[in-house]
Amino acid sequence: MSRISGLISEQMSLQRKNRTLLAMISLVLGITMIAQAVLLAEVVQRIFVEKASFSSVITLLGLLLAVMVIRTLLFYSNGKVGLHMAARAKTNMRSAVLQSLIYTSMPSTLRGQTGGKVSIALDAVDEADQYFSQYMPRMMEAAMIPILILIVTFYLHSNTGWILLCTAPFIPLFMILVGLKTKNKSEEKYTQLAEFSGTFLDSLQGLVSLKIFGRANHQQQEIERSSLGYRDATMSILKIAFTNTFMLESIVMLSIGIVALELALQLLVFKSMAFHTAFLILLLIPEFYSLLKNTGTAFHSGRTSMGAICKVDQMLAESQITSELEDIGQSTSASNQQIMKSQHTSTTLDQSTPLSIELEDVHFHYGTDSFELQTGNISFQAGEHIAIVGKSGSGKTTLLHLIAGLLKPTSGEVLVNRKVLSESQQSAWFRQVSYITQHPYIFAGTIAENISIGAGRQVSTAEIEQAAEEAGLTVLIDQLQQGLETVIGDGGRGLSGGEKQRLALARAFLKRPTIILFDEPTVGLDLHTEQVLQRSIALLSQKATMITVAHRLYTIQDADQIVFMDHGAVVDTGRHDELIGRLPLYAEMVNVQQKGGIA
Amino acid sequence: MNELAIMSKAMLQERKDIILSILGGFIAGIAGVALFSASGYMISQTVFAPPLYTLIIITSMVKLLGLLRAGSRYAERLYSHRATFSMLSRLRTAFFAKLIPITPGILNKNRSGDLLARIVGDVESLQNYFLRVAYPPIIVVLVFLATMIFTSTFSFWIAGLFVVGMLLTALVVPSIVLFGQRKINGRVREERALFSTEVTEVLYGFRDLKIYGQLIQREQQLQQTSATLTEEQQKAAENLLRGQAMHTFVTYLISWGVLGLGAFLIIDGALAGVFLAMLIMASLTVFEEAAAMATLPAYKQDSEHAAKRLQETVGSSASLPAPSLRIESDDQAISIDLNQVTFQYEDEWRPALQKVSLHLDAGSKTAIVGPSGSGKSTLIDLLLKLRTPTAGDIRLNGVALKELDENSIWQNANVVLQQGHFFRGTIRDNLLLDNKEYSDEHLLHVLHQMQLSHILLNDIVYEKGENLSDGEKQRLALARAMLRKGRLWLLDEPTSSLDYVTEQSVLQQILAHSAEDTLLLIGHRLTGLEKMDQIVVMDQGKIVEIGSYAELMDKKGYFYEMKKVEWQMIGEVAI
Repeated sequence: MSRISGLISEQMSLQRKNRTLLAMISLVLGITMIAQAVLLAEVVQRIFVEKASFSSVITLLGLLLAVMVIRTLLFYSNGKVGLHMAARAKTNMRSAVLQSLIYTSMPSTLRGQTGGKVSIALDAVDEADQYFSQYMPRMMEAAMIPILILIVTFYLHSNTGWILLCTAPFIPLFMILVGLKTKNKSEEKYTQLAEFSGTFLDSLQGLVSLKIFGRANHQQQEIERSSLGYRDATMSILKIAFTNTFMLESIVMLSIGIVALELALQLLVFKSMAFHTAFLILLLIPEFYSLLKNTGTAFHSGRTSMGAICKVDQMLAESQITSELEDIGQSTSASNQQIMKSQHTSTTLDQSTPLSIELEDVHFHYGTDSFELQTGNISFQAGEHIAIVGKSGSGKTTLLHLIAGLLKPTSGEVLVNRKVLSESQQSAWFRQVSYITQHPYIFAGTIAENISIGAGRQVSTAEIEQAAEEAGLTVLIDQLQQGLETVIGDGGRGLSGGEKQRLALARAFLKRPTIILFDEPTVGLDLHTEQVLQRSIALLSQKATMITVAHRLYTIQDADQIVFMDHGAVVDTGRHDELIGRLPLYAEMVNVQQKGGIA
Repeated sequence: MNELAIMSKAMLQERKDIILSILGGFIAGIAGVALFSASGYMISQTVFAPPLYTLIIITSMVKLLGLLRAGSRYAERLYSHRATFSMLSRLRTAFFAKLIPITPGILNKNRSGDLLARIVGDVESLQNYFLRVAYPPIIVVLVFLATMIFTSTFSFWIAGLFVVGMLLTALVVPSIVLFGQRKINGRVREERALFSTEVTEVLYGFRDLKIYGQLIQREQQLQQTSATLTEEQQKAAENLLRGQAMHTFVTYLISWGVLGLGAFLIIDGALAGVFLAMLIMASLTVFEEAAAMATLPAYKQDSEHAAKRLQETVGSSASLPAPSLRIESDDQAISIDLNQVTFQYEDEWRPALQKVSLHLDAGSKTAIVGPSGSGKSTLIDLLLKLRTPTAGDIRLNGVALKELDENSIWQNANVVLQQGHFFRGTIRDNLLLDNKEYSDEHLLHVLHQMQLSHILLNDIVYEKGENLSDGEKQRLALARAMLRKGRLWLLDEPTSSLDYVTEQSVLQQILAHSAEDTLLLIGHRLTGLEKMDQIVVMDQGKIVEIGSYAELMDKKGYFYEMKKVEWQMIGEVAI
């Protein structure tokens, strides 16, 4: 809970001025509310009791109209301040979410929890709106105005004041009770409710299977049954809420009745009160109670928003933890760097020559997950071709991410040309890296735009065309009416897996990297792409250090060094014939597949 | 308004609850008005020093009215919510029934996988239509009319004022708000969608963007979109707020009018002064019922939008009259002919299948292989009449598919789709037994054959089979097919998640079981194809080669080259 208030109070302190404004508007609003009642009562008093002439109340009527206009305007401004606060808070929160997504959540992004994150940036932040636009203004009004009314009633007639004071606490109390009770009950039934409402989506998703198995009509009955079940379960929860509201309204109504009786007695029996006063009190009481009732609704929407804010907060906190973990990595980096500096003087990353890479006892784990990666000491010489081999889940891709600098080691170092890369060198480093994955990123845009993203600079059409040709994309582009300017990606033309793969290659051809990181495709590509891939990779890697997560025998056979991984640990490194000889696990892996393939 | 027809139908079916809730709301409304009017009248009466008992009668009436109001409010809430949930149930069933004939046709129009989730969401926002859109005006009009009739006995002019108030709050103000809302809401939706796509895109492309040094630029772009979104949302909320302010002001204005007009009439002698306080109290209370009108435009917009989208999804493709021919195949396997079949997905730019001609003898075993995206699965969809070819024709046992009743095809086919669906329920439920009675022993035997001996018939399966591994799901889907009596087997990569040994054993069982039947197997690996009568090699929607394993290997063509690549594969595939 302390964290929730953390985010809210952070927003609040940013908006102190707006809150003061809200309080002031609410105060004036209360005054106009009372003024309106006073003027109304006064007019009725003059006309009905004093039998005055119409002209004598014209000024009062004019004044009343003015008060009503002001009250409306105040209501409007109060709402507007709330909306302004909400907009500001939302912008800030979204900005924080985006920043944490982009700068600190590398591991979780790579682990693919995209849907949830988008929902937080969009839905949760939107839900938080209510807290600022509804809850804050209503609470401010409820905090100021009823007290004003109470003061006025005490001043006018203390007995009524006492009645109000005694009954008022019941209202928020009941509201909270209703909330808590239904919450408990709904939590109790939560799974049941989720089950009911899930059936519809579940059935829609399985409609094809249901059709083929001749069960679609049967499922329709199932939907009806579960929907009615949902209705009954929800109704039983709502009934409790409604009963409590019934009690609450009865209390309000009875209180108003008691006040009315009290007023009548004072007027008639004790004759201690003027009509004017009695009518004024009668006008103020409903306002008093409805303001208190509003707090209940505001409280409810405030709590829903709180839940959403809590979600946002949790996400920010999580990414903070991971960034702290990365900080640990960085601080050790920093100290090492100092030592390094004294040893080596040349620090710039040279564009033209391949780079050497060393892993110094790198450890890595995602948050608190059990999976842990450890490499020991490995070094890759400049221009070497390295193959990373292991079963799926053995940590091959994570190792590639660590080498790429996309993930920061929990401990240990990744050295490039025997240097730790500083933060400022990161972009220079990335300018030399090409990372070709099994699922290249295609964004909505033309083919030319998608290719030229690889260059990181302005490139001519001729260069793009050449890269496309080298990657074997020319046949595809010639088929398209708009050629390179054809829009692909979301909303554009779909590309096959092989074509995406070739597009990624075209990017690399444009970039001419000195480091190539390559995740070999595991599933069957079409033969054309397969050939292009082999040829292009060979071409690209002539002047580069290449590290491949290898799934193909020729890649590991040709590799200068094979890194064999098992359960997150680097078991051994060496050439193919060396490993075959001394590592049974490796020999088995290579052989089993060949037998299976030939059988 | 046509879009809401299905809603009106559902509302008509729940008329009993609806009438009861309207009754409750109406009584609660007028009881409130009566209560405050009575209080106002009572206080005015005291000026004339009436006997005490009249006061006691009125105050007890006030209390009774208070209880009546609270009680009928309770009934209103109960019945209106019940009606809402019953309608939700009816809407769901109605939409499901409408979706049955047009699936999977609608699924290839919208590539985004969230279509179904959207349908669920839209149906849910439709349920608000009754409570938030249709219901409030009814209550407002009824309560106002009753108040008007009541006041008309005192003054015709004041009753007229109430009519004006009713028209303003129930009609004019909501219309103005709605007018502004239409434009803004469209923009908010667009911005939201844009933001969502952009964030998703950045997260998916995170690794590449980071390496290409594009992240900072993307972040700025996102912040920009976020700011625009917030701005548009604020505008929409301000429009609603303006509506609420207008509504409030109309409320005050009418009370002011009642006061002014009342004062004038009293001095004129047309109205007794004792009623003034009562009429003012009535005017202040009657608008309480109209409070829901202020949020109506927002809900109206939402439900209309939802209805429109649902209409577009569900209503567009009319279902054709079912053909009557059936497959007669109780004692014979089915032969398949494809002649120059072409198929193109609606939003794709090139055909998924291009002039495919193929013949499958009755009782033959065929395997289709090829890279992903070569059109293999589309072929099965076409054979099952789930999709219709763009050109060319397909014949089963010599009868054109067009003329065959699709149900008879499904009854005669044992199908395993790539993404077979599993439901919340037991294993037994998920075998989808179509009312055929099998002994538990037989079911367990089939599970055993599919290497699922560790699973019990009453084990619970979660939504989408979440608690089963991919391999278990595939074997369960195969068991499901084994329990059917069709003579045509259509298997789409049924063993892609199984290890080599299990795969071979399971396929052996299937081949033994289907010895006399026609079988079409889409394979993801090129192993174990030696026993097939023919192997069809596909690439980019076309058939590249057809022949037996030995023929294709001798030919040293596409299949042979694929085989060579596969021999090169290590690691992943071997597990």
